[in-house]
Amino acid sequence: MMLLLAFLLSFAGLALLALSMERHWRQLRATQPLPNSTARLLRIVGSAALAISLTLCLAVDHASMASLVWVMTLAVSAFVLAMLLAWRPGWLAPLISWARS
Amino acid sequence: MVVTLSRIAAAVLGGYIFVWGVVALSIASLAAGGMDYDQAWTLAMLLAFLVYLLVFIWAFAARRLAIVWVVLLGGGAAMTLGAQLLVGGR
Amino acid sequence: MYQTFRQSMTWLHTWFGLVLGFVLIVVFFFGALSVFDREIDRWAQPATRFAPQPMPSFDHLLRPVFERITEPDPDAIELARSLVDGPLPEKYPVMDWSAYTTHRDPVLDVYVSFDLPNARNPDDHVHGHQTIDPRSGTQLPASDLKIGSEFFYPLHYSLHLEWMELGYWIVGFAALSMLAALVSGVVIHRKIFRELFTFRPQKQRQRVNLDLHNLTGVVALPFHFFFAFTGLVIFAGIYFPVSETQLHPLVEAHEQAAAAATGLPHDPAGIAAPLASVDAMVGDAQRRWAARGMGGDVGFLFVNHVGDANGYVSIYRAGTDRIALTGQGIHYKASTGALIREDPPETAIASVNEFLTGLHLQHFRHWLLRFLYLFGGLAGCVCIATGFLFFVEKRKQQHARDGVAGARIVDALAVATITGTLIAALSMLVANRLLPENLVDRDEWQKNVFWLTWLASGIHAFWRTTVVQDGESAPAWREQTLVVAVLAVAAPILNWLTTGDHLLVTLQARYWPVAGIDLFLLATGVLAGLVAHRLRRPALAHTRLAAMKS
Repeated sequence: MMLLLAFLLSFAGLALLALSMERHWRQLRATQPLPNSTARLLRIVGSAALAISLTLCLAVDHASMASLVWVMTLAVSAFVLAMLLAWRPGWLAPLISWARS
Repeated sequence: MVVTLSRIAAAVLGGYIFVWGVVALSIASLAAGGMDYDQAWTLAMLLAFLVYLLVFIWAFAARRLAIVWVVLLGGGAAMTLGAQLLVGGR
Repeated sequence: MYQTFRQSMTWLHTWFGLVLGFVLIVVFFFGALSVFDREIDRWAQPATRFAPQPMPSFDHLLRPVFERITEPDPDAIELARSLVDGPLPEKYPVMDWSAYTTHRDPVLDVYVSFDLPNARNPDDHVHGHQTIDPRSGTQLPASDLKIGSEFFYPLHYSLHLEWMELGYWIVGFAALSMLAALVSGVVIHRKIFRELFTFRPQKQRQRVNLDLHNLTGVVALPFHFFFAFTGLVIFAGIYFPVSETQLHPLVEAHEQAAAAATGLPHDPAGIAAPLASVDAMVGDAQRRWAARGMGGDVGFLFVNHVGDANGYVSIYRAGTDRIALTGQGIHYKASTGALIREDPPETAIASVNEFLTGLHLQHFRHWLLRFLYLFGGLAGCVCIATGFLFFVEKRKQQHARDGVAGARIVDALAVATITGTLIAALSMLVANRLLPENLVDRDEWQKNVFWLTWLASGIHAFWRTTVVQDGESAPAWREQTLVVAVLAVAAPILNWLTTGDHLLVTLQARYWPVAGIDLFLLATGVLAGLVAHRLRRPALAHTRLAAMKS
């Protein structure tokens, strides 16, 4: 259960980092530019999510395994994220519904 | 074509000789310095392929192929000889 | 070619990536399958479809098994011919006994190592080996091939090319080239951060290929790097055999000193001695591990210098809960059961080495991580495959104009190593179910099916890619993909027909090894079917064009 949460946080964290990039932000908010403050906030929250994900991994397993699990959740999350951005970018909208344009 | 083959040979074979020299000299020196042989061997093998990767990349990036040959072949031979002297001296 | 760093790295990435890529995709594919090697074994050996078992009693079950292995394996004796001066010896003195098990093994492998008199190198040994049912001690026939752990897994690290360890060297060189390809790839990928999540399937085929190549390469970059690197470290002794050659004098001195320091004799005394109760030693070892807060199962049992006064028993804990393979070894005097030594905690260097090798060899119990590893391995295959496709697409038209066969050859080799490999592996599983149970040398037959179907796929690949020389897409892809689809669906059906263990049965019993493999096979079949369907279109367009012209 904790690892599932860690996985979801890895995904959410990377999604926020991706959406802090102009090119991916534009895929969701085509007409609205990305303010620097919002980009910075997205990066901070995204990084925090990744950090919490790592902590959860470490809480479940021996450190040697937890580090590998975390790195690989990033790999899978990044791949899934790329697929979503390519075919269903709209699905990611809820993640930044709170962000100011 | 010949130049290309020479560069590949330098990277692969020259690189191998160079890394052999690094490995042999490292282990012999560390062992001579008192380190347990198995520890020295393990450490050398952990570093060996990182060194090989670096010289491999360098062999292709370096502007002058002659220098690559001199460093890898010459350096490798020198280090191997150094290791031999250390082994012989025990 | 070598004007700038970027240009030289582009050349390196392209040519080493291409040529060694054909080896690497095979290594990566069978490496990925090897994550679930023991589960594939269960599918291939219906007689072993029972729950994993702990290490059984040595005194009651293992000792009789060891004692009846009095000779090395026939094929080990054959290989030994090249190691001896003169004729092969009449008798082979027994040296060591060992048994190894993990939390995924229902059956147990036991090994006996024999001394090789007349050997040129006094350190050379020969081995005898049996697979037994740990619940009863009965031996499983050698013709019952473990397709996963005895075929796919060794294929991935040695290509089954044992002569002069040639296969190991080829795989090693491919691994080094992979590291170089990763580094050079990063150098030439200008927008590595900006395009980290970029995949544009709507664009032109070349761009789609390159996007996917970059994506699968970058998201799993640590995985790709570490697996190539640790693979090299694992076999470092083969690639840089300094201990057997230049530094051998240092090794001799060290081994005697280590034996004296640890109290573990390096050589037998030549005096006969009995073997005390090993079960008692195992019990003691487990108590000691528990006292250190590291309670666990026995992973590895080793009886050194069998029947000799210098004999000692080494008991290692199975490393299921951490990356290290086995550890916390405890050693007892064989004739009395007295404790000789508890291995001290690892040094920093040894810990790093253990972490790196354990990361690659995966004997840990962590199913999520195993599936994540499978993703990494398949991502590597996609990266290499899209690399081939990009190479062909980029040069196809130009080569067609110049009348050069390069793109065609690469496309043929790509078919042979991508769909061809799948066909060979699936054919082997199908043959496993179709061949008569009591067929003599049933294992050899299955291996022959693998190699022959691969060869046939290769020939078909070359034959059905001729149109690439005209700048067209080869029909070989669709044809082989269809074969993959048929085989992948046939395999679970044959499993059902020959063993009765169809998905409803295995899912209900929660017997995941077989259920999982069947599900993967069906998923592969469906995916291959969809791909074959999509590949119809270029062929259709080509036919329509030809019809219009006529």
